[in-house]
Amino acid sequence: MTTTLFIQSLLAGLTNGFVYGLIGLGISVIFRGTRVVNAMQGDFALVAGIAACLALDWLGLPIAVGFLGGIIAGALVGWAVELLLIRPTQARGGSEDSLLLVTLGGAFAVSAAALLYFGRDSRSMPGFGGNRSLDVFDAAIRVHAVWLIAIAIVVVVALRLFYQRTPLGQSILAASIDPEGAATIGINVPRMRTLTFMLGGAVGGVAGVLVSPLITIHYEMGLLLTLKGFTAAIVGGLGNPFGAIMGGLLLGLVEAMAIVFVSSGYKDVIAMSLLILIMIAMPNGLLGRRGRVGG
Amino acid sequence: MTKLTDPIRAGAWALAAGLLVAAAGPAMAQTAEPIKIGAVLCLTGPGAGLGQAERNGIQLAEEAINDAGGVGGRPIKVLIEDDGSKPDIAKQKAEGLIFNDKVVAVIGGSLTASTGAIAALTNAEEMAEVALTGLGPAVELTYKSLYHVLPPQSLNAKAMLEYTKANKLKKIGVLHDSGYGQLVFSNLKTMAASYGVEFVAVEKFEVGASDVSTQAAKVRAAEPEAVYVIATSPVPFRSARQVKITQPIISAIGSSAYDYVRGMGEFGDDIVFPEFLVGEDPEPQQKAFVELYKKTYGALPKNYEAAGWDAVNIVAQAIAKAGPNADRQAIAQAMRQPFKGVLANYDFSAADLTGIDLSSYVFSKLVKGQFTRLPFKVGS
Repeated sequence: MTTTLFIQSLLAGLTNGFVYGLIGLGISVIFRGTRVVNAMQGDFALVAGIAACLALDWLGLPIAVGFLGGIIAGALVGWAVELLLIRPTQARGGSEDSLLLVTLGGAFAVSAAALLYFGRDSRSMPGFGGNRSLDVFDAAIRVHAVWLIAIAIVVVVALRLFYQRTPLGQSILAASIDPEGAATIGINVPRMRTLTFMLGGAVGGVAGVLVSPLITIHYEMGLLLTLKGFTAAIVGGLGNPFGAIMGGLLLGLVEAMAIVFVSSGYKDVIAMSLLILIMIAMPNGLLGRRGRVGG
Repeated sequence: MTKLTDPIRAGAWALAAGLLVAAAGPAMAQTAEPIKIGAVLCLTGPGAGLGQAERNGIQLAEEAINDAGGVGGRPIKVLIEDDGSKPDIAKQKAEGLIFNDKVVAVIGGSLTASTGAIAALTNAEEMAEVALTGLGPAVELTYKSLYHVLPPQSLNAKAMLEYTKANKLKKIGVLHDSGYGQLVFSNLKTMAASYGVEFVAVEKFEVGASDVSTQAAKVRAAEPEAVYVIATSPVPFRSARQVKITQPIISAIGSSAYDYVRGMGEFGDDIVFPEFLVGEDPEPQQKAFVELYKKTYGALPKNYEAAGWDAVNIVAQAIAKAGPNADRQAIAQAMRQPFKGVLANYDFSAADLTGIDLSSYVFSKLVKGQFTRLPFKVGS
């Protein structure tokens, strides 16, 4: 094996890891704030990717503005999902299982709507730095992928500060951990849940606009991203945003190394076997226990 | 659908030649009872890219034939059903067409599994199934009324190897998906040695993978002279170029579609496809179809549109030969003959009930996102 191949696989593993981590991050944010396991997280990314693509293609907006539009679209879809799907289900006493099923149904509906209105084509989208790549010992990483990694780190740090340092972040956590207690001290619990979904949608949107230039936008990409994001979030410790990124990185790097050292045909077998072992050894995920200290 | 214009209708006449009983005339065709033909296509689901293209070709052929007077004085009516890319649904839909609608022949499926599900019914009824797939499992050879308008994967593989050999390329890297790519690659593997081709790296990825750059990097590290990329997605083409695979890429017919090329974006360059129809530069016998298609849909056709067009014309020719009131069995038997199609020249009396040979292939190269037809032909 050459150094170039090793570095190339490391770069691919890191990039994919941060993609998985960003989706897991959104799942984690929503679970943390509402205890809902959201199967639509990848579809928030899909909607954001489509919105950004249309903003760039049709309106000719600058990339940063188009991306911002995508993130806002993700947040709006999060808001709509909470309002139209989650709230009515909960009002009728829906359990966590039924909420999961509702979001799973929503995921298929969004994918079908994307097929209907966006078409079945894969669309490529420009990213930061155009198509330029950086050379790292003859291996290549797209400039956009570097941006993706940097922005993912900023988002996870910002979320950590948001939950720890801001009254709003702490109100969201309080509304999730003890809704009745939170209501008695004047916290508007339904509003906190709505804000949580909007936040989760926005994080999904960030993932969507950042990943689309790397992998192309396709109406079926939502569920595929959700599956990887779920793995990342659960391995990292569901409910811990930092854990989701760790889980995503672990998954991405193990996949890449499995391809290089064993065979691409066994990539998933190796990655999933390792993750099963981790879950047996640490049932709360890599950072699950620590994440629960102090909520 | 846009109404066909006169010059175009004239082209359609030529293409549908031999099928039509002009004496009956269009007026009579308008009033006579239509001859019903069934079609079961993948209009939704993973095979929708094939089925929607095929539907366009089918509807165009139906309109062209009817505008030219129908078959034996009777118009044709193609009843199109969607199987959602699922073989069990394909069987249900075919049952409806065969037993309720009493169609005289069935066109489809778009995917091998659907073709097999339909064939179980058509074979029992001894009626024709004109499959829009290549020859599939060995059991298909035992069916006597199942005809294919696309070549078997072994022939697609041969076409790739012919081009490779002609360009004196020997060390090849392979990047293929676990579905279509696997199917083509298994055929490539069995024939490579006889073409003097050695696979220096073979990397597989799952269908729908969003990134295959590590696999591509592994192929690059083996320093091949060219790379086969075989997949029903633009992703591996992007990944290959992103990790600096600068060698020529040779692909297969299944990847030759405009939507994949759009997905490749700026990475869609220096990629060769063995295929049948290059809409930008069609062969003489394809020109009328391409013009008609362009006028009607405002876009260029590719292989699967032509396959749909050919399928309807094959059925229509068989009806014309057997007679407009012939039964299903007679129509199926009448199909067993050579047919000069837009996609290829077929010989349905051949052992594989397809009869396509390598001379029907054309080779195209993607240059900055545009298909250009290469002068290369097998045996040239």
